[in-house]
Amino acid sequence: MFKKFDEKESVSTILQLKSSIQKGIRSKLLDLYPNLDGYLDAILPKKDAMRIVKCHDHIEIIINSGGDLLFFRHREGAWIPTLKLLHKYPFFLPMEQVDKGAIRFVLSGANIMCPGLTSPGAEMIEAPKGTIVAVMAEGKQHALAIGVTALSTNDISKINKGVGIENIHYLNDGLWQMKPVK
Amino acid sequence: MTEVSRLTIGPKPGINYPVDVLYCGNCSMPIEYCEYYPEYEKCKQWLERNLPSEFEKIKICDDNTEGAGDEEKKRQKRGGKGMMKTKKKEDGPKQICVSRAPRGKKKSVTVVTGMSSFGIDLKVAAKFFGTKFACGSSVTGDDEIVIQGDVKDDLFDVIPEKWPEIDEDLIEDLGDQKR
Repeated sequence: MFKKFDEKESVSTILQLKSSIQKGIRSKLLDLYPNLDGYLDAILPKKDAMRIVKCHDHIEIIINSGGDLLFFRHREGAWIPTLKLLHKYPFFLPMEQVDKGAIRFVLSGANIMCPGLTSPGAEMIEAPKGTIVAVMAEGKQHALAIGVTALSTNDISKINKGVGIENIHYLNDGLWQMKPVK
Repeated sequence: MTEVSRLTIGPKPGINYPVDVLYCGNCSMPIEYCEYYPEYEKCKQWLERNLPSEFEKIKICDDNTEGAGDEEKKRQKRGGKGMMKTKKKEDGPKQICVSRAPRGKKKSVTVVTGMSSFGIDLKVAAKFFGTKFACGSSVTGDDEIVIQGDVKDDLFDVIPEKWPEIDEDLIEDLGDQKR
């Protein structure tokens, strides 16, 4: 999604959000990620003014008053954390681990194929189709991408062919390169 | 194995959140991913300079995997799509140009260009000039600041003082220019 994203060209406007909408987003985030309970105040302090960055291709990004990028979404889709945030709070997304051979492909933006998730170096946590997952790597501590499962994990191990997780946001893509917004 | 519990969802006991992640200054990724960056050598140099303790760790790891590395060499390396592209860094000539442009009959403004190549936020710089010289100052273009009033000569002292990375020799005087 962010392969061709560019900070200078893709951002159209930055908006201050109404507090009622902020509240809505906050509760939506908790609905989406129940594990975030108790930590959300640290990520988005209640008194902090949230802002939203509207970008081309119907992408919206939540930023805090410091300008750090926190969550993004495409159209009316679910809010997805940025990798910077996920590295700080790695626990609230289900994680899938790919094997070593897949890392370089993921880092250049490829979708994650089923064999990379089923081989000995890989590991999966059960997740239904369409879940937002963090993509971890064999022997590495931190997530390297965020994606959406294109098949349920059961199907991935059964079919073992084709795209298993769609890559949304990965290290060194346009969103990762984007600097904090002033 | 502990691996299973590693992937489970939910905060882990014994870890304080937010987790501090070390990022490489060259490729911006967490340092464990540097080895997948095309310019791994540069990453290593950066590590050596900035985080010597982490660099030592990597060195030790490298020694351990030496044997496996030989085997890998025999196999044909796959190029093409699997390689990450290096992001283009613009290493153009770093220079600041200052010039004076007339404004009306007897007044003039100072035009400063080239500041963003030093990684300076133009908006902040413009504000700084405004308060420093007690005059209007604004960002007028992609890499241009216009300061109202003729402060060209002062700039040669002010800029190196405020941003020590800029040497006075890097500031060039373009003299008077037509608007």
